[in-house]
Amino acid sequence: MKISLRDITIDYDNLRAIDDLSLEFHEGKIHALVGENGAGKSSLMSVLYGLNLNYSGKILFNDKEIFWSSPKDAIQHGIGMVHQHFMLIDELSVLENIILGYELDDALGFINFAKIQTEIKALLKLYDINLNLSELVTNLSVAQKQMVEIIKLLYRNAKVLILDEPTAVLTPNETEMFFKTLRNFRLEKKIIILITHKIDEVMSISDHVSILRNGKLINSSKLKQTTKKKIEEQIVGKKLPKLNVRRGIIDEQKILEVNSLRLSTRFSHSQPIDLFIKQGEILGIAGVSGNGQNELIESILGVRKVLSGSIEYLQEDITHKSTRYRRIKGISFIPQDRRKDGLAIKSKVWENVITINLSDQKFSIGPFVKKKSIKNYANQLINEYSIKVDNPNSSVLTMSGGNMQKLVVARELSNNFPLIIIENPTWGIDVGSIAFIHQKILDIKAKGAAILLVSNELDEIEVLADSAVVMYEGNISKRITKDIKFRENIASKMLSGVHFTENING
Amino acid sequence: MTEIFDPEFFSSIARLTTPILLAALGGSICHRAGIFNIGLEGFILLGAFMAVLGSFYANSAFVGALTAVVGGLFLSIIFAEFHLRRKGDPIVISIAINILALGLSTYLLRSIFKVSGVFSHSEIEKIPHIQLPIIENVKILNLLINDQSILFYLSIVIVFILHYFLKYHKFGLWIRVVGENPEVLKSSGINPVRIKFLVLLLCGLLCGLAGAQLSISNVGLFVENMSAGRGWIAVVAVLLCGGRPIPLFLLIILFGLVDSLSLRIQGLGLPQQITELLPYIVCLAVLIIVSYKKLRTFSRIIY
Amino acid sequence: MKSKEILKILRPTIEIFYAFFSIFILIFLLLYLSDANFSLAFKGFINSSIGGRNNAYLFSTFSKMALISGMAIAALVAFRGGLFNIGGEGQLVVGGFACAFTGLLVSDFGFIGILISIISGMLVGATWALLSGFLTVYMGVPLLVGSLLLNYPARFITSYLVSHPFRDVQSGLPQTFLLSKNIWLPYFPNTRLDLGILIIFFVYVICLIIFYYTKHGYHSKNMGHSLSYVKLSGLPTKKIVFKTMALSGAIAGIVGSIAVLGIHHRFTDGMLVQPLYAWTGVIAALLVNLNLWFVPLAGFFFAAIYTGAAGMERIAQVPKEIATVIQAVIILFVVGKLGSLTNLSSSKGDKDD
Repeated sequence: MKISLRDITIDYDNLRAIDDLSLEFHEGKIHALVGENGAGKSSLMSVLYGLNLNYSGKILFNDKEIFWSSPKDAIQHGIGMVHQHFMLIDELSVLENIILGYELDDALGFINFAKIQTEIKALLKLYDINLNLSELVTNLSVAQKQMVEIIKLLYRNAKVLILDEPTAVLTPNETEMFFKTLRNFRLEKKIIILITHKIDEVMSISDHVSILRNGKLINSSKLKQTTKKKIEEQIVGKKLPKLNVRRGIIDEQKILEVNSLRLSTRFSHSQPIDLFIKQGEILGIAGVSGNGQNELIESILGVRKVLSGSIEYLQEDITHKSTRYRRIKGISFIPQDRRKDGLAIKSKVWENVITINLSDQKFSIGPFVKKKSIKNYANQLINEYSIKVDNPNSSVLTMSGGNMQKLVVARELSNNFPLIIIENPTWGIDVGSIAFIHQKILDIKAKGAAILLVSNELDEIEVLADSAVVMYEGNISKRITKDIKFRENIASKMLSGVHFTENING
Repeated sequence: MTEIFDPEFFSSIARLTTPILLAALGGSICHRAGIFNIGLEGFILLGAFMAVLGSFYANSAFVGALTAVVGGLFLSIIFAEFHLRRKGDPIVISIAINILALGLSTYLLRSIFKVSGVFSHSEIEKIPHIQLPIIENVKILNLLINDQSILFYLSIVIVFILHYFLKYHKFGLWIRVVGENPEVLKSSGINPVRIKFLVLLLCGLLCGLAGAQLSISNVGLFVENMSAGRGWIAVVAVLLCGGRPIPLFLLIILFGLVDSLSLRIQGLGLPQQITELLPYIVCLAVLIIVSYKKLRTFSRIIY
Repeated sequence: MKSKEILKILRPTIEIFYAFFSIFILIFLLLYLSDANFSLAFKGFINSSIGGRNNAYLFSTFSKMALISGMAIAALVAFRGGLFNIGGEGQLVVGGFACAFTGLLVSDFGFIGILISIISGMLVGATWALLSGFLTVYMGVPLLVGSLLLNYPARFITSYLVSHPFRDVQSGLPQTFLLSKNIWLPYFPNTRLDLGILIIFFVYVICLIIFYYTKHGYHSKNMGHSLSYVKLSGLPTKKIVFKTMALSGAIAGIVGSIAVLGIHHRFTDGMLVQPLYAWTGVIAALLVNLNLWFVPLAGFFFAAIYTGAAGMERIAQVPKEIATVIQAVIILFVVGKLGSLTNLSSSKGDKDD
């Protein structure tokens, strides 16, 4: 079996997402599709899966042209896709999620659950997968959810598996387990298309690798015929400036201290959290998203109730203070979801540069705002952070993700506050902006700020943090200090993540 | 006390509950399918008018119910056109539908029947009531549920059908999925818009029947703005129950009970405005209690 | 490809044409149903929306425009802050009643009396709006349903008050006593148009200033676009909610006061509910896509439809509710252009573990 994409072009309004691209996928091969965010990997796959019908070019199945009118057609041809954001409904059972769209039903349309259950159980046995079918998906771990997605494909008899960033949410050892399953599929002569941005994974599992950049195919070759270095260069396309890491002086003063804090998370058995950050230090919190990092941040910011314990900021107990109080006292925050939590994106740029400091004499007199000086200030930030936008009167919506994030970073860092909380600052933005933002974070640290950096990118923690902890299921590991084996130590903590609770209890 | 709890009180519960229940069932499938339909008020009102129209001209209650359903479906199609195809905000559409139904029913009342305010006529045939001889000897049941309109029994049956339908039918599964995340349904190869459209039609059908129950079940007349806030009570009930049929049924019985009670205590000399207010106050009170309980369980601070 | 692009360019034009065509067909059908004389109906519509002897009808359109624009501003103030306050009707009614009640007490004070009456209308309207604000912030009641359900107590309680304790029994209607002439709003010279429209203009200007030149306007706009951003930024969200709701309710109270002092000179049961002022205001605010600058235009437009329809009823016996129908259909045709207004409609609210 063979699938070919010929001369595919996709246009979104004014943007060419895929530019005249041709690719071939063969059975029994794992084909890695790599490229940075926005390179067009997902757009291309949504064409193959029948989700996007607005394209030009051809899809060939064993050299015969085929047309989809919906994903249903693709599924019937044996194509299955696991999306980056799981296509699962938390409130439904595992079984209901698996059968969706392919229900065995009686004449009246009522579902024959008993029969389906035996079928799927046989499937689980065949692949040696352990899963409770009547469990609600919301109670599953991320890795188990991933499994449900895979079983969904198997139940539909998929011969082509499109996997969009499947390991983004898995811990290292879960990833290893997952790859084992993939290798089994390879033996069964399935076509496996693996979308990823992690080059290590490409090197360890794929047979064939294609690199996309700005919607164009840069290179497609057997893995053997290329090298890691080559791939890296092809992904980015240009040399990035090297980060200027100045090791600032870490003062002994603790800026933030979290003492036996019990978070309200869905991990009811997690242990209390202890943390501290000193002046001039970046503390990284590594770990896969959804392990309580967001709840920890929200608790420190005061938008989430805590069960017990205390949060001290500059030697003051702020556990029961309002968000407003904490922010005014000098906590900056760069959220992951900039479109919802970091900006009012339908407002204009100049309306997004001032928050609590609007009452400053610089920006207002009595109840009135000084529009002109706010706009000047906005211009100043735009220049200083090289934000690409027409002028301060433009709507934030017109900006790219990277520039939106720069705007948030500019606003939050310009306060020069003693504590900065940063959550996945480079999530979904281009490589140029990533480097820029990393440099700004290092600069502000050198000036003496204490920084709490939550990131699920190990690379980011490695580059920026002075020390790190790993968060797993609401628990926090021992502090790992920066040394030559920093990365390995973090990874091994993540590896043993599953046994976290046992370790602490025992 | 006996003045309030007389036979009339008990038999009025079912009568007053049915229209709200039918509309709320329509609203609940919309809610489950992720369509924020708060235009139930308008659906009921147009249904009520169309029922009188059909029943009057055809001299048949069946035709009346049928035209009422047509009225409901008409609004469903408008809702679908502007929400599903033109991607309009459902709240705005709901508001527009409420206003449209109010304007249209009053306009047609005046231009077709040449009356304003109320239209009643002996030729409006009422929906037949059913006698159940089996329960005639069980006094309380006899009072409560005997000799009610067909639609009352139908609505009870629908509560349970809907419950099982949502749980075990494939279309029911799709409705639940489309309400949680339409993308999931799409990636399984089912068109979420089509599901939503069918749900809206079903809602229109049920709301049309609700209107028919209101105008041609007991009274056989149409009054301007006859729905008088019942649709909003249904909306609140749907929100409070998260669109689950069985709890919805129980809650609406409570509202119906209060409704009948307020009707009865009017006879005791309390001013009409105060007794009529009672159902809304109870509705508001339940809303506040439930919302507050929910707020307490939130660990995120919203404001 | 070529034809696709041409279609893309022409699309807005086609859509507008389609909308006008649909509305035209609808009007035609409705007129046909009521056996109306078309040309007579048309003449009646035009003549009574902007004509009349000495422009009398134009002035009545202006007077309606003041009320509709006022309610539109009230709705818009809240919507802009992301607060879907559709309880304008209740706030209008309690404000109107409060004004009429106060007016009876202070009728000897002339101009000062007018001022006191309006202020009391404002305060009561604001209080009523704040009630739903409190329910939302402290009790977790969704503002949309909370504010709406409060319409009914407002309606029934005022109805009770004017039917029993404060009723002008001799008039035969459920209404308060007629206010004395010294506290009627004065008319513009040589017209029957009261000064209410000036007051609304004043409110309009104040709101423009609040929206575009004050700190509250700056923050509330952002809150309308993202509550979680504003909350996380450390802004006083509760205060912004209460301020916004109070302002919205106060404006509704002013509108009620103007209707009492300028037009009816007493409070009659249902006089502010039946003409759907509040709902028309909501629709006008949506029609201009929450852009305050254009509110007077929308207000005039809807007022003209109303007075025109009333003229049609007088001259061609077409029920005036045709105006309500047209209004609803217009908003349906623009709704697709508005985008989502609340988070409520897209999700089922905030879920939590």
